[in-house]
Amino acid sequence: MSGETESTMTEEPSEDGSLFELVDPREMGTLQRLGVLALLGLAVFAPIGVILGRELMVLQLTGAFIFATYVMTWDVVSGYTGEISFGHALFFGVGAYTSAIVNTQLELSLFVTIPIGVVAATLAGLLIGFPSLRLHGPYFSLITLVTPIILISMLVFASDITGGASGLTGIDVLTRDTIISYYLAFGVFAFALVLFLAITRSDAGTVLTAIREDEMAVQAAGLNPQKFKLFAFVLSGAVGGLAGAIALHTRVLGGVASPSDLLALVLSIEVIVAAILGGMGTITGAAIGGLMFYMTVRFLRALPDFGVPLLETLTGAVADSYFLIFALLALVFLFYVPEGALPRIAQYVKGRQSRAAVAADGGRTPAESAIAKFVSQLRELVGLEGGDER
Amino acid sequence: MASVSIATVVVNVLLLGALYSLVAIGFTLIFGVGGVLNLAHGASITLGAYSAYYAVQFGLGIYAGAVVALLVPAVFNLALYKGIIKPVGDNPVAVLILTLVMTLVVEQVFLAIAGAQAVTIPGFVTGQVPVLGGIEANRVLGFVLSWVLIGGLFFFVNRTKTGQAVLATSMSKKGSALVGIDPDRTYTYTWLIAGALAGVAGLFLGSFQSLTPLMGRNPLLLSFAIVVLGGLGSIRGSVIGAYFISLLDQLTIFYVSERLAGLAGLVVLVVVLLVRPQGLFGRELAEG
Repeated sequence: MSGETESTMTEEPSEDGSLFELVDPREMGTLQRLGVLALLGLAVFAPIGVILGRELMVLQLTGAFIFATYVMTWDVVSGYTGEISFGHALFFGVGAYTSAIVNTQLELSLFVTIPIGVVAATLAGLLIGFPSLRLHGPYFSLITLVTPIILISMLVFASDITGGASGLTGIDVLTRDTIISYYLAFGVFAFALVLFLAITRSDAGTVLTAIREDEMAVQAAGLNPQKFKLFAFVLSGAVGGLAGAIALHTRVLGGVASPSDLLALVLSIEVIVAAILGGMGTITGAAIGGLMFYMTVRFLRALPDFGVPLLETLTGAVADSYFLIFALLALVFLFYVPEGALPRIAQYVKGRQSRAAVAADGGRTPAESAIAKFVSQLRELVGLEGGDER
Repeated sequence: MASVSIATVVVNVLLLGALYSLVAIGFTLIFGVGGVLNLAHGASITLGAYSAYYAVQFGLGIYAGAVVALLVPAVFNLALYKGIIKPVGDNPVAVLILTLVMTLVVEQVFLAIAGAQAVTIPGFVTGQVPVLGGIEANRVLGFVLSWVLIGGLFFFVNRTKTGQAVLATSMSKKGSALVGIDPDRTYTYTWLIAGALAGVAGLFLGSFQSLTPLMGRNPLLLSFAIVVLGGLGSIRGSVIGAYFISLLDQLTIFYVSERLAGLAGLVVLVVVLLVRPQGLFGRELAEG
């Protein structure tokens, strides 16, 4: 099973070519150069930050890398195929929990359990991917919405093994060191970024985008959209599971696996919100949106209470007021900046339409066409005529 | 002993089935007529229960509480539809995020003002009805009232002009507009009805068990399962689905584990989606 994911990853015919293009500065525009510079800056930030006494900032960035990786895994499925997943936390949870349970029950080393977690998350990707081939629109949303909840239910049921709702402790960690944690998280982030960019910039990415725009046309062209969708799900599951497992075994979660950190519905929604803010269907937008979202949330949480009683959450339910702020922000974006922040900035910098936001259908943005797809499926379902998008 | 336990399960199923029907009917109406997956439906349950609780606290008595429990969620739903859903109606992603946010807001509000600890509301009547080893009269009342409401809804949809308009809109928006039905008015009715029904369900759920700010979550999840099983947009399917799901749920709780409450319904949901997405009486949106 693990072999299968590797083989699908090497199946990409033009990956080497696009990889080379990706890192060749001569091929880049201003923005890409800026991006590479920023990555290099992040790569050397940890030791400098610790020396300067900014350890908290380093820790927050470590968490932000993991979160941004989550957002990218969502984007590669929902931003590109238009099948909107409302339960992406399933993959992070499966990856982390599998690794944790195998580690605590069988006493295996993390170098064995983390790959097992990734394989499990890959299987979860297949499991969610298959229904997505038959179910569309609201039905698919429902099934993705409830699968993490089912998993939480099971975890609570088997709480002697899983620690139940309060979380599983006593898990081995790869490291408790801030700097090493930082680099592990950064490694996952960079790996996911390069991998997803390579794939979405390759022919496979073109097909995925085409599926979002017009699935029937893809079929008519003799391509099998189902194969590509499954591929996106499996890939997303594997990387999401890896990010979850790495987060669990480093200082991000510090070796405590709890449903509220790994499987909560709010986490799934935060991922969607961050992707919308950054820009759906653009990977880089998702990455930057994820980093920004996470850091802003940490900043807001560190602020003293505004004297609003709502801020004093009693049960530790994650719905702080920051979430409301961001949800509303995401909605504003959905209406006024549907392509997301990054493509809009890129457009502004270049003074013309950016590559990411060029859509096949008269310049619709990824978010718009994903929504249009959802709407037409919904119309078919509830009998509002006009199953097509016009 | 065994007969007593079976009796308990039967009573619970009959009663909860009726209450879940109320919740699921509202959910399915909103979806079938307007195409909106209303994740704030659980909030209506919580609102109904807490409105009754506060009415009792203010010394209005439980009967006034019941009226409030009907009205507040209906008004909440009306505001939700007019203020939020209507402006973003053609953007389902926004609708889902917004309704979810509304749920969280309502939960947080009650967490802040009522606290996380469970509270109770008094029953309407006291005493026992001597069947099946004695059932609280209040539960019987809840059951009867639920069925009166369900019957009333059937009468409304099948025998009144407005109800027929709702049905027509759920079948075909264009067709109903052609014969002079105003879709906006129809949607308003469905949101009002859905809110009121959920409020009543919340009231009785609250008086049988207890009230917590998160009490709307489980019924909402179960109504997903009920609605998918019965077929999205089908009232009859909702009632049948509600009984089936609550039977499964009670059996699971009683014979397997309390901790698995709600899980059976979700598993059914996933199975139905994979095997027969259109449900028992619904339309289908699946290829292959």
